[in-house]
Amino acid sequence: MKQSKDPFEAALEEQEESPPESPIGQEELEGTQSHTAGGGLEDEFETSNAAAVPGGSNVKANVAVAKNKEDDEEEEEENMDVDLASKLPSSADPSKMEKMQSILSQFTEDQMNRYESFRRSALQKANMRRLLVSITGSQKISLPMTITVCGIAKMFVGELVETARMVMTERRESGPIRPCHIREAYRRLKLEGKVPKRSVPRLFRYLILSFD
Amino acid sequence: MSNAAAGSSSKSKAGSSQPYETTSFKRKRGVFQKDLQHMMYGFGDDANPLPETVALVEDIVVEYVTDLAHKAQEIGSKRGKLSVEDFLYQIRKDFPKLNRCTELLSMQEELKQARKAFEVDEEKLASIE
Repeated sequence: MKQSKDPFEAALEEQEESPPESPIGQEELEGTQSHTAGGGLEDEFETSNAAAVPGGSNVKANVAVAKNKEDDEEEEEENMDVDLASKLPSSADPSKMEKMQSILSQFTEDQMNRYESFRRSALQKANMRRLLVSITGSQKISLPMTITVCGIAKMFVGELVETARMVMTERRESGPIRPCHIREAYRRLKLEGKVPKRSVPRLFRYLILSFD
Repeated sequence: MSNAAAGSSSKSKAGSSQPYETTSFKRKRGVFQKDLQHMMYGFGDDANPLPETVALVEDIVVEYVTDLAHKAQEIGSKRGKLSVEDFLYQIRKDFPKLNRCTELLSMQEELKQARKAFEVDEEKLASIE
């Protein structure tokens, strides 16, 4: 796979996208420092060893590295040092970190896998930037804007999936989430006002109907 | 172009009879698909989410981002150019999102500062050698 990026900056890139007070960031950084970015495991679904955190962090570095390659046009100053990586989580609250540590240490393998997915997954900045450019018609989409919108979209996906799961428990169904659950979840989110409504096109739609 | 047809039909599925942009953006299927699969697993779905579910979530997310960006643009046009502030204004009612965004932005600032400091150090090192 593409391994041109330093694993430390890859971890740094990943750290950038995650909350500062989570100790996983620390663990990963320590993990990646002890592993060289070897192997070509890009898709974490194919890895069964993601349970062990050091092994997992190695995989993470690879996934983050692969992601980094595509964000090349955004991040020009990519050659960063290890010291930067260790300086970053300084804004963490020590008591919160302790709590997180105690919780994380009690995770089962499944839970750890899922948490890892939760922390590491992100929408690609390049794709998001392309989408924003096409929507706004302007080429000047700054990097903070792209990152912000990626974060907002990720949280929106989270709300959708969690609401869909709630719908499933209400209907007493199990298994993978189906589109009908997502649609119901989307409807509920709209009622709560968490989805921006487009006011203008609705006007045109009524106008078109009135010509019949 | 089957892509454009798929793109415009999926756009109309999203509920707008008049697309804002003149469909010069051929939205291919599965732009965010791989990332979305991991993300949905992380948020509580099955390890292998159904492909139709992922496609639907992608459509919904693209529509969400589109509406958000349009609203931000409407606000931003009054002030001049589009800025991050306009997006933050849109989600001001949603506290978790707002907090997360301010967190992300402050981390970006930190990173930028750290990178600048590092570059200065590198220069010094290079000049010494």
